[in-house]
Amino acid sequence: MRKILAVIKREYIQMVRTKGFIIGTVLGPVGMIALIVVPIVVSSVSVEKQETIGVVDLTNEIFMELDKKLDHKDYRLKDGFRRYVLEKFEPSAGTEELRHELREKVLKKELSAYIYIPEDVLEIGARESAVRESEPEQEKVEYVSDHTTDFEKLRALNRALNNVVIEKRLKREGLDPQKVAQYIKRVELQPIKITKKGEEKDTGGTFMISYILALIIYMAILIYGQVIMRGVIEEKSSRVVEVVLSSLRPFQLMMGKILGIGAVGLTQFSIWTLFGIGASVYGTSFIPAGANFAMPSIPAHVFVYFVVFFILGYFLFGTLYAAIGSLVNSEKEAQQLVMPVTMFLIVPIMLMIFIIRAPNSSIAVSLSFIPFFAPILMFLRITVLLPPFGQIGASIVILILTILFMIWLTAKIYRVGILMYGKRPKFAEIVRWIRYK
Amino acid sequence: MNALEIEGISKKFGDFHAVKKLSFMIPSGTIYGLLGPNGAGKTTTIRMVMNIIIPDEGSIKVLNRRMDEEMKEKVGYLPEDRGLYPKMKVGELLLFLAEIKGLTGSDARKKIDFWLERFDLSDWKRKKVEELSRGMQQKLQFIVTVIHEPELIILDEPFSGLDPVNTKLFKDIMLEMKKKGRTIVFSTHRMEQVEMICDNICLINKAERVLEGNLSQIKKQYGKNTVILDYDGEADFIKKFPEIEKIDDYGKFMEIKLKETSSPQDLLPKLVGKISINKYEVKEPTLNAIFIEKVGGKEIKDEEDTSSH
Repeated sequence: MRKILAVIKREYIQMVRTKGFIIGTVLGPVGMIALIVVPIVVSSVSVEKQETIGVVDLTNEIFMELDKKLDHKDYRLKDGFRRYVLEKFEPSAGTEELRHELREKVLKKELSAYIYIPEDVLEIGARESAVRESEPEQEKVEYVSDHTTDFEKLRALNRALNNVVIEKRLKREGLDPQKVAQYIKRVELQPIKITKKGEEKDTGGTFMISYILALIIYMAILIYGQVIMRGVIEEKSSRVVEVVLSSLRPFQLMMGKILGIGAVGLTQFSIWTLFGIGASVYGTSFIPAGANFAMPSIPAHVFVYFVVFFILGYFLFGTLYAAIGSLVNSEKEAQQLVMPVTMFLIVPIMLMIFIIRAPNSSIAVSLSFIPFFAPILMFLRITVLLPPFGQIGASIVILILTILFMIWLTAKIYRVGILMYGKRPKFAEIVRWIRYK
Repeated sequence: MNALEIEGISKKFGDFHAVKKLSFMIPSGTIYGLLGPNGAGKTTTIRMVMNIIIPDEGSIKVLNRRMDEEMKEKVGYLPEDRGLYPKMKVGELLLFLAEIKGLTGSDARKKIDFWLERFDLSDWKRKKVEELSRGMQQKLQFIVTVIHEPELIILDEPFSGLDPVNTKLFKDIMLEMKKKGRTIVFSTHRMEQVEMICDNICLINKAERVLEGNLSQIKKQYGKNTVILDYDGEADFIKKFPEIEKIDDYGKFMEIKLKETSSPQDLLPKLVGKISINKYEVKEPTLNAIFIEKVGGKEIKDEEDTSSH
């Protein structure tokens, strides 16, 4: 035991001191925050400027109204100036010539775009008649520009235009647009999550927290698993392993390594947790006002299960990574062997959305019992809806049994592999090692 | 008492016999040389003693017991493939390797300082291993082997790649250890070191034992009709003399083995006047000559080819 402790200590101290660990620990939360905050900040300060849009209005009714709509505060720039200035073009010489002229203007950047409103846009049933008369280009209002990927702009113009068109149509039928607007006012479905403790409003926070925590488990297992593997390969390629094994058993070295690096992972999480608590206490003031982002809280039981499932998942995959490291001579060689292991981690990540949407479906339940998926999937189900404790317990027991089996199995592979140099052993040979007493 | 008892061990890798029915015993407090050309099975034998490879048959007793975890603390091992953690600091590395040998922290620290001082490495204690030169790393590796004051020290090719100064340092320490009653086994193919410090030897060739026993007795068995000739001039004519059994000619130095029936006293007059003789010595054969005779010239040549890489 004292020897394992010495190995744990060595792994821990050497790892914690690396630049990779320090940078990862600092950049982890910074990256996470950047992922959330940067898009908000960028969208709020993005440089938008006034642009001129040409309008060809064949109905002769829409231009004025649209111009008025776009003068409204909602469509203005942040500094109060108008964002969209409309310029009207009359099809005096014929529509084709006008279109040609406008196209030139757009290409010369005199106009950022032009909108072509067909004559029949206000007629109810125009769509059907247009199809019948096989003039499909007439059925839609065209927006012509040299770039059409600014979704926000398209949405704004679309909304303004639609409001105008609909109001016009309603007025033609003698209806009061304001009244109709009240009639067709939408109702919102408000998700309220009930737990044994009571009700809580869900503003999407549960979804996000589940997603992020499961991703952290996935990333941590992947990263720390690779650290174990790299460590084993390094011991092998630097040939220090024979010296170490003249003092302790291969099993002690393997377990010491897995435990030491696991402790590094837990240290990192502790730092992040402290950071997170600090951020939620002091950090809300940094989030730009109006960003509509509320820091969701993580329930205590979720946190406990997070640690439990990380540890279990880490052990399960850690033994595999150690065994792989012992089988190869270089990291390059390891990549092929790592693939199937990584797949076991990627599959649950791909199933995440499905599990979050249907956490109690029989497929979700059975998948969450498969030991290689359980660390991510069972944990995910716990965050979305607390499954019966029997299920959680069963999953943990299955995991622990699998881990014990994997430790037994991989220790046998590791014991022989760690001292083998040269050609990578074939599968049949590995099976023989396992049988070897 | 024997520090190491090996009885009839064999090891096969696939169809290849690495070690075949090998037996020998090492009395406590002696230095034992394991000799043989490359691929003879020396390293495999040592690895079996260290319980790294398990023999197919036979038994190994270290300090009168089966090799197990507890015994590992009483054995110091220098593997053929040297290796240390390159990113660790020298002091930390030694502390870790001492701790897994069962030393406590404070005891280990004292010994680390002593040995670093002894090997003139004290200034390097806080440096990373990878910053050390090859020679310094070899010294470090040697410290790792002996830091826990093992009763049995097993060294696989301890002198390979060492400069003369460090070779002497290693040899001195080995003799000191012997004085303290420790037992040392080492493998090598450099005969001069074996002759200087070994009490007993075992010569292995092609997985099998060819010669074993007390070094001086072995030499006596090979008789007193070997002549060491130190000369200048053209001496090829000697090779044609009928009383010669075998000659190892090194250009200015010759080891001549005479036939049983001839006497060194009769050879000398035939040489006088033809070459300039600096030294004419009658003695036991050198181990090198015995080695070459036992193993055959071909293997030795291979040996030199591979070691010159």
